Amino acid sequence: MKPLMKTKKVCRFTEMRIKYIDYKDIKLLQRFVSEQGRIIPKRITGTSAAYQRELTLAIKRARHMALLPYVSDSVR
Amino acid sequence: MRIHSYESAVIINAALEDEQIELVVTKLRDTITQSGGEIFSTENWGRKRLAYQIKKNKIGYYIIFQFTAPVEAIAQIERVYRLDENIVRFLTIQLSKFAVEHFSDQKEKEALAKIAAEVDVVGLVEPDIAADLKSDISPK
Repeated sequence: MKPLMKTKKVCRFTEMRIKYIDYKDIKLLQRFVSEQGRIIPKRITGTSAAYQRELTLAIKRARHMALLPYVSDSVR
Repeated sequence: MRIHSYESAVIINAALEDEQIELVVTKLRDTITQSGGEIFSTENWGRKRLAYQIKKNKIGYYIIFQFTAPVEAIAQIERVYRLDENIVRFLTIQLSKFAVEHFSDQKEKEALAKIAAEVDVVGLVEPDIAADLKSDISPK
């Protein structure tokens, strides 16, 4: 049997040495949100735990300010 | 009195006339400065589509203030937000020192990009050097 391919996922934020995740940066946040508007878990995106916590906060703030949907229109 | 950096984003009812919105904005600016705050950056996004309806509004007028203020001032400022009927939604967050750094870095980058664009137009620098400069500055 072929051995499973292991590709190392890297945290984009750690790589870029980002200091702060801005909730107004919708283009960035949208990459970490599913089509329905749900936050994608870190086991899929590879984001480090510390950045995932910051990211979650940023996404929730963006939702509050109607920059991101709580539930996407396609689901409603 | 401890002083922190804050960021206030406010959505104003976009159904209002431009002059009325301007009035609300100046009022907010005054309340921040009068309660001991000092605005160091304002971002005016203008009318933007909301991701979902808020109080039957589909579009909103976004304005963002970044300011330093004593802790006690925030309650006063937020009280004004709450009382103003033209304000659909607001969010005030405290900026950590990393956040402040992030924003000042961002501004620096934008300024440099502007300079690079001008240099390109004027043609003072060899074209390939200008391209190098640009790729250094442009956000990843």
